[in-house]
Amino acid sequence: MVLDLTMSMAILAFMGALATIAGCLEDLESDVGSQSNPNSQVQLAPQMNLLHRIYNKAISGEPISNGFSAVIGGTVATVLLNAKFFSLTAIALGALVAALIYGIFATTSYAGRVASQSRFKQPLYMDIMRYTTPSIIAHNFIVCFCLVALAYIQSQILVPAHPFSIPFLALIWGISVGAIGSSVGDVHYGAEREFQNREFGCGLNTALSGRIVRKAESGLRNSIDNVWFCAKYGGPVTGIALGLTVFLSSWPTTVFGYTWIAIGVGIVIVLVMMVMNRLLEVQVKNAYGPYKEEKNEKEAAA
Amino acid sequence: MVALDPTTLMNILYIAISGTLVCIAVHFIPVGGAPAAMAQATGIGTGTVELAAGSGLVGLITASYMYSIPSVQQDPNVMALVLAAGAMGSMIMLASTMLTGSLIYAYGVGVPFASAQVKKDPITGARQDLYMSKGTQGQGLPTICFVSGIIGAALGGIGGALIYYVLVGIYAKSAIIGGSAAAVAGVFTMGVFYVNSVVPSYGVGGTIEGFHDPKFRRVLPKDAVTSFVVSALCGILAILIGGGF
Repeated sequence: MVLDLTMSMAILAFMGALATIAGCLEDLESDVGSQSNPNSQVQLAPQMNLLHRIYNKAISGEPISNGFSAVIGGTVATVLLNAKFFSLTAIALGALVAALIYGIFATTSYAGRVASQSRFKQPLYMDIMRYTTPSIIAHNFIVCFCLVALAYIQSQILVPAHPFSIPFLALIWGISVGAIGSSVGDVHYGAEREFQNREFGCGLNTALSGRIVRKAESGLRNSIDNVWFCAKYGGPVTGIALGLTVFLSSWPTTVFGYTWIAIGVGIVIVLVMMVMNRLLEVQVKNAYGPYKEEKNEKEAAA
Repeated sequence: MVALDPTTLMNILYIAISGTLVCIAVHFIPVGGAPAAMAQATGIGTGTVELAAGSGLVGLITASYMYSIPSVQQDPNVMALVLAAGAMGSMIMLASTMLTGSLIYAYGVGVPFASAQVKKDPITGARQDLYMSKGTQGQGLPTICFVSGIIGAALGGIGGALIYYVLVGIYAKSAIIGGSAAAVAGVFTMGVFYVNSVVPSYGVGGTIEGFHDPKFRRVLPKDAVTSFVVSALCGILAILIGGGF
């Protein structure tokens, strides 16, 4: 069966939608479990005598932990597909197994990290572990489901099929979603949410490292409060990043064929993004203004 | 005695060059590590290895798919097309990441973009020092960093695609792993990619803004030579995996 352009575009759009959901949920999962670079502040806080109720897992860097989770999901799904399971069931069961294993890693990681901070009197809150871990598992389940489904589409539905197997494609997309989540959404968590008591846009002095906000809108802040905040902006933007990556990396070849024209279109897309970044830079500089005055201006004012 | 024919030597050289390209690519990509995640340094808020591998592997997906198309395999410029597809996938991934990352810096954190390494952006001429907040090493992704990142992504995508192209050609002829040539070549490409992302991260030391960063000139030659040697070794191993010389 050869897919016509409409069907190819429909599949591509579906892949983009799956990637958008995966990207969004991956970032939110890294916020609810506190992983990657912003977690350095969560780790540092007890050393500054600031004890907190924030989950602290950081199994590894986000790409590796998500790649690991996705490849487990992909492997289980492949085994079940070979056993003639219905494809959606196989993908869902694969994602479930991966998410449960991820949950085990999250629990042991949290316990281990807090135990290593006992000299700073950081307690291990069992209630935090009890109600945050299921949330981590749930987020990871959706991420795995979307990534394995994406790999399944590329490997089984696309014509011609991608030469890589489902687990390997899931591994690559897991690594990519982790890299994107770590680069995009984590900044919202690390630079804004963790230091929300500072004036918006003031710039974060390195001397403030470890002085994270510990009080919530009501009561003491925990990771569920953090994911509530990051779901408003950081998560969706991360989803857009992965969605754009999956959609735009295949769109030129889907529409223009496997030719130099498609490569040219891809380069044009990159150039457009470059211009958009420049426009954003100018707009932001005009809107917020500089932090410092120029010396000549200072002298003139004097 | 191992017989080394010119084709085998050429393949090892290709893998060594590809690995070196990946290593050079890492230096171009503006990564700010943990400080950038807190808007305390210019660049993308993640590690060198994570981002270089993430973008390079998207390039690997597009390159391998391009190579699997029958009409492309019969094209006289097949190698160039596969390398270009790798570069395109990798560039689109990094451009999307940097653009959306900029959206977070702009509207989520509320900081203007500024490079700490140059007073004026060499491309746009825009002042940088005035927009650097107190006690930081810059923040966000100014145009110079974006352009540098795109060049890095292109080099990384080409490097990854070249490793795959060479290896899949070798493995397809192998009696041992010929049936799963694409899979083994893909996994090995990923391995070489990671090796060559890790090697420069020691020189880079966590943060680099791109080709305008003084660190770029200081560490690039040593890292490139190291990567060339390591990748050549990887090339020898890759050929041994496929059934020897």
